[in-house]
Formats: sequence, C-alpha cells, structure tokens
Amino acid sequence: MQSNATLEYDYSIVKLFIWTAVIFGFVGMLIGVLIAAQLAFPDLNYLLGEYGTFSRLRPLHTNVVVYGFTLSGIWASFYYSGQRVLKVSINESGFLKALTKLHFLLYLVIAALMVLSLLMGITANKEYAQMEWPLDVIVVLTWVIFGIIMFGLIGLRREKTLYISMWYYIAFFLGVAMLYLFNNMEVPTKFFSGGLGAWYHSVSMYAGTNDALVQWWWGHNAVAFVFTVPIIAMIYYFLPKESGQAVYSYKLSLLSFWGLMFVYLWAGGHHLVWSTVPDWMQTMGSVFSVVLILPSWGSAINMLLTMKGEWNQLTENPLIKFMVLASTFYMLSTLEGPIQSVKSVNAIAHFTDWIPGHVHDGVLGWVAFMVFAALMHMAPRVFKREIYSKSLLEAQFWIQTIAVVLYFTSMWIAGITQGMMWRAVDEYGNLVYSFIDTVSVLHPYYAIRAFGGLLYLIGVLMFAWNIFKTATAGRRLEQEPRYRSPMA
Amino acid sequence: MFHWLEKNPFFFAVGVFVVIAYAGIIEILPNFAERARPVKGLKPYTVLELAGKEVYKKDNCIACHSQLIRPFKSETDRYGQYSLSGEYAYDRPFLWGSKRTGPDLHRVGNYRTPDWHANHMWDPKSVVPESIMPAYKHQFTNLADLETAYAEAVTVKKVFNTPYGKEIAPGKAAFEKYKKDILLPEALKIAKAMKRDDLVKMVEQGKVPEIVALVAYLERLK
Amino acid sequence: MNGMIVKALVMAGVLIVATFVVVKQMNIDLSDPVNMITFLGAIAIAVLAFGVSAKYMQQMKTDTATGELAEDNWDGIGEYKNELPAGWSWSYVGTLIWAIWYFLWGYPLNEYSQIGEYNEEVKAYNAKFEKKHKNADQKTLKAMGESIFLVQCAPCHGDTGDGLSGKAHDLTKRMSKAQVLGVIKNGSHYFKYPMGAMPPNLVQGKDAEEVAAYVAGGMKGDAPKAWTTCAGCHGQDGTGNGGQAPNLKAFDDTLIHNVLTMGKKGSIGQMPSFVNRFTPVQEKALAEFIKTLSSGK
Ligand code: HEC
Ligand code: HEC
Ligand code: HEC
Ligand code: HEM
Ligand code: HEM
Ligand SMILES: [Ca+2]
Ligand SMILES: [Ca+2]
Ligand SMILES: [Cu+2]
Repeated sequence: MQSNATLEYDYSIVKLFIWTAVIFGFVGMLIGVLIAAQLAFPDLNYLLGEYGTFSRLRPLHTNVVVYGFTLSGIWASFYYSGQRVLKVSINESGFLKALTKLHFLLYLVIAALMVLSLLMGITANKEYAQMEWPLDVIVVLTWVIFGIIMFGLIGLRREKTLYISMWYYIAFFLGVAMLYLFNNMEVPTKFFSGGLGAWYHSVSMYAGTNDALVQWWWGHNAVAFVFTVPIIAMIYYFLPKESGQAVYSYKLSLLSFWGLMFVYLWAGGHHLVWSTVPDWMQTMGSVFSVVLILPSWGSAINMLLTMKGEWNQLTENPLIKFMVLASTFYMLSTLEGPIQSVKSVNAIAHFTDWIPGHVHDGVLGWVAFMVFAALMHMAPRVFKREIYSKSLLEAQFWIQTIAVVLYFTSMWIAGITQGMMWRAVDEYGNLVYSFIDTVSVLHPYYAIRAFGGLLYLIGVLMFAWNIFKTATAGRRLEQEPRYRSPMA
Repeated sequence: MFHWLEKNPFFFAVGVFVVIAYAGIIEILPNFAERARPVKGLKPYTVLELAGKEVYKKDNCIACHSQLIRPFKSETDRYGQYSLSGEYAYDRPFLWGSKRTGPDLHRVGNYRTPDWHANHMWDPKSVVPESIMPAYKHQFTNLADLETAYAEAVTVKKVFNTPYGKEIAPGKAAFEKYKKDILLPEALKIAKAMKRDDLVKMVEQGKVPEIVALVAYLERLK
Repeated sequence: MNGMIVKALVMAGVLIVATFVVVKQMNIDLSDPVNMITFLGAIAIAVLAFGVSAKYMQQMKTDTATGELAEDNWDGIGEYKNELPAGWSWSYVGTLIWAIWYFLWGYPLNEYSQIGEYNEEVKAYNAKFEKKHKNADQKTLKAMGESIFLVQCAPCHGDTGDGLSGKAHDLTKRMSKAQVLGVIKNGSHYFKYPMGAMPPNLVQGKDAEEVAAYVAGGMKGDAPKAWTTCAGCHGQDGTGNGGQAPNLKAFDDTLIHNVLTMGKKGSIGQMPSFVNRFTPVQEKALAEFIKTLSSGK
C-alpha cells in the first residue's frame, strides 16, 4: 500500500470536465438568454430560420445546461473529490484510468449528437428525456462505465468509511440509472414495420396517463438526482474544504440523507396535480413534498452551521460567498417547491412562469453557484496555479446575485399574476381575460428576466475568463494549498 | 447500523436502492392496467394525424402549449370539457406539457378551423395582433414524413394491439397503397379547407406539406 | 431581533407588496379561496426562506463553532458530533406524523374526488347564475356578451368584431354583397329554419347582383324587382317572416342561437359550432352584444 505522502492524484480527467463545464455553461446560458429575449421580443425567433424558433431552442437550452454544464461540473467534482476522500488515485489502476478516458470520449459523442438531433427536431418529446433511442444506448453504456469507475475506486479505497459526499454520489449513480432506464423504454418503429421510415424513430412503451406517471417519476427525480443529490455531494466536500471548518453535525447529515432518499421519490406526483392520474397519487405527491422540506433544509442548515462564527471568511473569500448563498437559494427553492405542490397553490402555479421562476432559483442560485465554486476551488489544485483574479470573482458574484434576484422576482410576479388572471371572472361570472390579455401583461417581466439573464451570462463570461487565465497565466504554486484557495 | 453501512459500500448501495425503488413500486405499478383503457368511441390516430403529431413533436409545440384541461370552471369555460384519462390511450408519448405560454390545445379542434390555422401558423399576428408565438412558415414547404408515421401505426398495431384495420400492414407496398387510397384524399380535404392553392397543388402532386399533417392533427384534438 | 433578520424581512416585504400591487392592478379578487391560499403561500415562502436563512447567517457573525470532533477525517475534513437543531427535528417529526396520518387515515376517510368537487361546484354555480340573470336588462346582457365575445370570438372576428379583414364575418354589418351572392349561387341548408333549405340559383345574373347589393346595403330604398323571389320566404321587409327563414336585415336571437349551436359554412369559410359551451343566458347576452355591433349602438 502506498503511503499518503506519496499519493499523486490524477487530475487529467478532472481538467477535461472543467473545460466542458465552462464551454457548455456559456453556450447553454447564451441560448437561455436568447429564448428569454424571444418571449419579450418575438422577432428574435427568426435569426436562424426554422432552427431558431423558441420551441426548437428551449430543449436545447435545458439539455445543454443540465447534461452539458451541470453533469460536467458534477463529474469534474466527483473525479477530484472522490479520489481524495477515498484516498486512492486513478493512476493506481491502468484499467480505471483508461475507462475515464472512454467516459469522457463517449460523453462528447453524446453531447454532439444531442445538440445536432435537437436542432433537427429529432426528439422523443419528453421533458429532460428528449434523446431518441440510439442516443439512449450510448447514455446507458456511458453510465455503466461511470459506475464501474466509481465502484472500482471505492473498491481500492484506503479510507474505510465513506465520506458523506460519497453517499450522495452513490445515490446519484443508482437513482439516475433506475429512472433513466424505465423512462426511456421505447419501441423502435423501423424494426416492426418491415423496414419503413426513419431508423432513429421510436414510440414510447407507455401511453397517456401511464406515460405521464413514468415521465414525471423520472422528471422530478432528474431534478432530485442531478440538481440536488450530486450538488449536495459537492457542497459537503467543497465548503468544509475551502473553509477548513469541520462539518457541523454527523447526525444531521445522516438524517437528511436517508430522509431525502426515502421521501424524494414519493413527491413526483406534484407535477401531475389536477391531472388525470388518480387523486390519491396527487395527494401523496403533495403531502410528501411538504415533508421533503425538512431533509432538504437539513443539508442546507448543516452547511450554514458549519460556517458558524466564520463571518470574516464570508466577507473575504468570494468562494465562500458563492457556497453560502447557494445554500440559502437551496433553502428558498426547497420551500417554494413544496408550497407550489399544495393543491390550491398548484392550481395557480402550474403552467405559469412561477414554475420556471422556481426552477431558476434552484439552477442559477444553487446548482450553478455550486459548480462555479467547485471549479474555482479545484482550479489552483489541478492547474497548480493561483486563481487569476479575486476581484473578478467578487464582481461575478455580485452581478450574478443581482441577476438571480431579477430572474426570480420577475417570474414570481408574472406567474402569480398570470395564474390568477386565467381564473378571474367578472361580475357576471364570465372569464374576464382572453388568453392573449394574459400574455401581453407579461411583457415587462419577460424583458426584466431577459435582462437578468444577460447579467448572469456576463458573469459566466467573467468566470470563463478567470478560469482560462488561471490555467494559463496564474502564478505558479509550489505546494498544494490545504484549505483556502489562493487568489490574486 | 448506519455507520456499518458507511463502511460496507455494497450494502450501502443496496440500502439506497431499496429505499428509492420502494415508492415507485407502490405508486406507479398498480395503476398501470387501469389507466390505459380508451374512452368509448376513441379511434386511433390516422396516419396523417400521426404525421402531424410528429410535426408537433419536431417543432416542439409542447414548449408553450399544454394538452390537459384541469377540472376547474375557469378552464372548462375557456377550453371545454375537462380532460379524461381514457382520451389519451393512444398518446405515445403523452403531450400534456408543463408550461402554458400559449393556450391549452386539447380541444382546439372544437373551436378553430383549418383556414384559421393556416392564417395563424403562417403569421400568428395576422389573427392575434399581440401574439408572441413564432410563425412557422417552414411547415408550408417542408414535407411531412409519412412513411415514419405509417411505421409508427404498424408498430403500435403489432406491439400494443392498437385497433387499426387491415389497411395498416408492414412493408413498402402496403404503405404505398395506403398513401394513395386513404392518406392523400384525407390530406386533400384538409388542404382545401385551409384555402391555400399552393397546398392543394402540392397534395395533388402526392406531396404532403408538414402544415397539412399538423392541421389534421390539430383538427383531431376535440 | 437582530439586523440581518430585519433586513431579510424587509426584502420579503418588498417582494410581497410588489406582487400585491401588480395583482391588484389586474382586479384580482384575493378573497377567492384559491387566490388567498396561494397568496398566503407566497408570503410564507418569502418570509420563512429569507428569515430563516438570515438567522443562520447571523450566527456566522455572532456564534462560534463548538462540539466534539468525530474520529474520522477525510482529506482534512472533520465532523462534529453535534446534536440536531431542535426546531428542525421537531418540524421533521411533526410533518412525518402528519404525512403518515394523512396516508393511512386522513385521505382514505375523506375519499376526495377532484371531478366530484368540480361537478358540484359547477352545478351550483350554473343554477345560481341562471337564476340571477334570468331577467337581466339589455345593458347587463350587452356587457356580459362583450366579455364572452372578447374571450371566445375575438381570435376570429377581431376585438372590434370587424372580421379581421375578411378572415371571418364582419359583425358590424349584416352581410356583404359577396356573401349574399355566395348564398344565392349555392343555396343554403345549414340551419334548421322552418322553411328548410334554400335552393341554389333562385335568381341569376343582373338580378342576383341587384338583390345582393340591396341586401348588403341594409335594404334601404326601393327593392329591386327580383326581391319578390326572396320576399316569399324572408318577408317583404327581409326580417324572415317571423322566424320562418333567417332575418337578412339585422342579426337576431334566432340566428345567433343557430350559428352558435350549428356553426356556419359560407363563402368566407367555416365557423365551428359552440354547442354546449354556453348557457341560455350567455347565448342571449352574445346576441345582444352582436346586435349592438351592427346597429352602431
Ligand atoms: C413562444 C411560444 C409558442 C410556441 C413555441 C408555439 N405557440 Fe402556439 N400560441 C402561443 C401563444 C402566446 C398563443 C396565443 C396567441 C395566439 O393565438 O397566437 C398561441 C396560440 C396557438 C393556437 C390557438 C389556440 C387558441 O385557442 O386560440 C394554436 C392552435 C397554436 N398556438 C398552435 C401551435 C403549434 C402547432 C405550435 C408548434 C408548431 C405552436 N403553437 C408553438 C405561443 C406559442
Ligand atoms: C324557399 C324559401 C327561400 C327563398 C325563396 C329564399 N330564401 Fe334565403 N334562405 C332561406 C332559408 C330557409 C335560409 C336558411 C338556410 C339555412 O339553414 O342555412 C336562407 C338563408 C339565406 C341567407 C343566409 C343568411 C345567413 O346569415 O347565413 C341569405 C343571404 C339569403 N337566404 C338570401 C336570399 C335571397 C337574396 C333570396 C332571393 C334571391 C332568398 N334568400 C330566397 C329560404 C329562402
Ligand atoms: C374559428 C373562427 C371563428 C370563431 C372562434 C367564431 N367565429 Fe363566428 N364566424 C366565423 C366565420 C369564418 C364566419 C363566416 C361564415 C360565412 O362564411 O358565412 C362567422 C360568422 C359568424 C356570424 C354570422 C353568421 C351568419 O349566418 O350571418 C355570427 C353571428 C358569428 N360568427 C358569431 C360568432 C360568435 C358569437 C362567436 C363566439 C362565441 C364566434 N362567431 C366565433 C369564424 C369564427
Ligand atoms: C443565463 C441564464 C439563464 C437564462 C436566461 C435562462 C432562461 C430560460 C428560459 C427563458 C426558459 C424557458 C422558460 C419558459 O418556457 O417560460 C428556461 C427554462 C429552463 N432552464 Fe434556464 N436559463 C438560464 C440558465 C439555466 C441554467 C444554468 C440551468 C440549469 C443548470 C437552467 C435550466 C433550465 C430548465 C431545467 C428549464 C425548464 C424549466 C421548465 O420546464 O419549467 N437554466 N430557462
Ligand atoms: C423540496 C424540494 C422541491 C419540491 C417539493 C419541488 C416542487 C416542485 C413543483 C411543485 C414543481 C412544479 C410542478 C408543476 O406544477 O408544473 C417543480 C418544478 C420544478 N422544480 Fe422543483 N421542487 C423542489 C426542489 C427543487 C430544486 C432544488 C430544484 C433545482 C435545483 C428544482 C427544480 C425544478 C424543475 C427543473 C422543475 C420544472 C419541471 C418541469 O419542467 O415542469 N426543484 N418543483
Ligand atoms: Ca429516449
Ligand atoms: Ca417544463
Ligand atoms: Cu418535482
């Protein structure tokens, strides 16, 4: 067995995923800004012919930010922190190292095909599961490879007890695997029709209400197991590591983890409230969503209490700022979601902009902030250079914070207003507003959101520049920093 | 016990899996049989309508439109009868959507007409001046993929026993015959009702533009 | 209370007030239960999320980290064996008990059905509506009709009823010359008037032109000779012989009722039927409103 002192972690795969996170982050959010602007200024639909309409670009936005940006960030973090908390280097196994290369390569292939097929309009048309069956096959293969690497590293570990982050990474792997397989059961039509039609085309195994059930069992848990579980894995590593503080409470970690695992799957029904799925499932979805507040807040509180007494770190270190604010946005979205799950509230909120508002509290304030912080924490260690600019990071933080506030306040007001206008009746009991009235009234809020999005994108550019300069021009470090990341 | 699990990754993983799989088994499986039954009189989509559904999917109308009328008076007043589970029995995938940037379309066939759609899809502002919906002019020239739609009908007939007649059968020859005898006449009727000579002419030449298929699908939503 | 929490609550307050102001501008009735619960929910989100996170932020300023460290350490990360925060644990236990109660007891005994609730609500509502407006005066009907028209009819007929430059019937006039000519040429057998179908080509050529111009012009001045053919069914004055055939001079309740229940196919195009979509009072209201569109009142 190697001794700790000589253990060299292998960061080659980490670097690759850092770059894809930066690139996909920029591209995905650029599209986000464009589609936000299209709703305020519809003429922007015609920039790219048939490929540039809001409807073609929207899934491109979601897929690139979810599966490009977020997954890259998660994998960069996993390959970085996984080695370290397990105390094992990828270099120790030639086989695993080769698999990491394959993992990245297949990931690029999927990403390229995904972008291409979505632009062409080849889609299974289920949210967050648009990819057609040939892509599903590569996804499953890639996932298996990732699993082998993860359990391979766990098998080789020197740290007997698994750190909290690893619990969450394991859940991430299992949850996505199970849900993805079920939701993507499709029948390719060419094989059953005597060779007719497009080879990539398929029909869903499930129809109507059943299909909806499976889809939102997946859709909700895609949120759970991509936007929540692995991001918690990240904050449990990067916040204590960057701050040098010990995690506040093991018990709190424990109850939050198992509570989250148990409750999350039940809550999927909140996407189907007032639909044609049975009443009891909808009700269970609402009830368990409310319970879900506690295991969700548990992790956030644990992180905030870890920073107890460390106000000076908060004021001095922009990375700590990102992570503390991420925790609070996590609290916001995991309270907002459960309240939107309550039947009466969902009657207003469902189908309106309040939902994208809730979504972006989570993804902009929590997911993306955590990815930025994680990437920046890793950068000095993997590139062995000081972070290029602290003031740029500081400015990015404030610009993006303002951007998130603009995004969620505008969508909050827009959604609540629109939802109530749809129901409004006049003194005679007839609908007051024609549908288009409820669209026109949103114009200012759509414009504010687009502006907020633009600010956020500017922040992403600052971040990309900062990472790029860190990797190429930051001051070289002799020794790996133990806790706080050095920045100029 | 938990600390023991944390030292034994295999059992840890099994534990996690059981805990997360549990809800799915209880919530989803029991209702599978019951919720797939079609309402009385529901016919499967014609191939032209299926081709239109593919256009709806391709241009991703689901980004802005729902197909689910909730049981509220405000929704039934605006869109008509609330949606029933059995009405979706042939919807693979379901197209309920999750965002209404535009209105619900589950019963749009009741209160709009082919020529209205023709005007609207060509230039939404010509009928609703404040509309923010994009114009879909490319659908008037792109051709619908009829063969794939037919392949879908054959597949669902075979695999899921969707009640199509003898006219839906595997192979190229069966498709060509169906196209000539059933599909093109159906398309011609829609094209004429859309009151655009260019569309009528194309269909008469055996080519079906995407918009004709799409409107056939929208007209079917009742 | 300390500074941080006060600031957070002020922020929450600003958001809530802004929402309130916008919603009120759209004349939303916040006493409606669904609206009220939603609004209270929104308040709860803002107050609790901002307030509670501010409490923990405050602790970063004032508190210090304490506790017994566990023996494990990963990559320099330690872990305290601190107890659970009390408020959190009690809320957790509370919601779990509530959920289990709901699952095993609360829900099964309630046997709630959303469709059942809908049906009862609508039935009660419609009965009340019909009773209240059975003898509504013209002004009320007109206003009611206008509100329905803007929601249901404007996408085809336009906000002002002008038919969007020929895309649908121009409701500010009874009929255009082209429309009348179309009916003369093709006949009409759409509605179930006592007279039955109107045969095609009853008059032709110049006669048809003249009659059409006369009808489209609102039947002012002397009738052309050929009008007698029409008058047999539509009456000398064109008002339909007391409901035997359509009134050609002005929109009337019978015609509107027929169009709404049967739709209309004509030379402009097709109008879908709105059968079962409106109550009798609503139909009357629409008729009243459309009559005022063409009469200029
Ligand atoms: C950017 C959002 C957006 C997209 C994408 C979009 N629509 Fe719309 N749609 C609207 C809005 C807003 C309205 C209401 C205003 C109007 O009628 O134009 C509307 C109205 C409609 C209506 C009229 C329904 C009614 O009750 O009046 C139909 C039909 C329709 N859209 C079909 C489609 C189809 C088919 C597609 C995809 C090819 C599509 N829409 C894509 C926003 C959109
Ligand atoms: C045999 C009786 C008869 C005669 C004669 C007749 N009509 Fe009619 N007309 C009807 C009936 C009945 C209808 C309604 C038919 C339907 O159900 O659509 C009608 C409908 C119409 C309509 C359509 C009204 C609408 O709003 O859709 C017009 C216009 C019209 N007639 C004009 C004329 C003119 C002009 C003449 C003379 C050339 C004429 N009619 C002669 C019986 C007659
Ligand atoms: C999808 C489009 C559409 C909608 C929605 C629509 N109409 Fe029409 N309507 C038409 C067209 C097209 C015509 C002309 C038919 C013809 O060619 O004579 C018409 C004709 C009419 C006429 C004249 C019929 C006659 O015989 O003179 C009336 C009255 C009318 N509409 C009332 C309404 C009312 C009231 C509503 C709403 C409840 C409504 N329409 C909704 C398309 C529509
Ligand atoms: C510059 C930043 C961003 C902008 C301006 C932006 C804008 C948008 C817009 C306009 C929509 C469509 C909303 C609608 O249909 O009404 C959307 C949807 C969505 N975006 Fe973003 N976005 C941004 C960043 C992100 C990021 C970073 C993520 C994820 C990590 C993300 C995830 C999503 C998701 C999941 C949806 C779908 C929401 C739903 O269906 O309800 N977005 N975004
Ligand atoms: C306790 C936790 C949460 C609950 C109970 C919850 C609840 C909800 C509800 C009720 C909806 C709207 C469903 C609808 O009416 O259409 C929703 C949508 C969504 N939420 Fe959450 N939410 C939670 C946390 C989060 C977090 C942390 C994120 C992201 C980081 C997130 C991302 C999303 C996304 C992407 C959607 C949009 C789904 C769609 O496309 O329609 N949620 N959530
Ligand atoms: Ca798929
Ligand atoms: Ca959605
Ligand atoms: Cu969810």
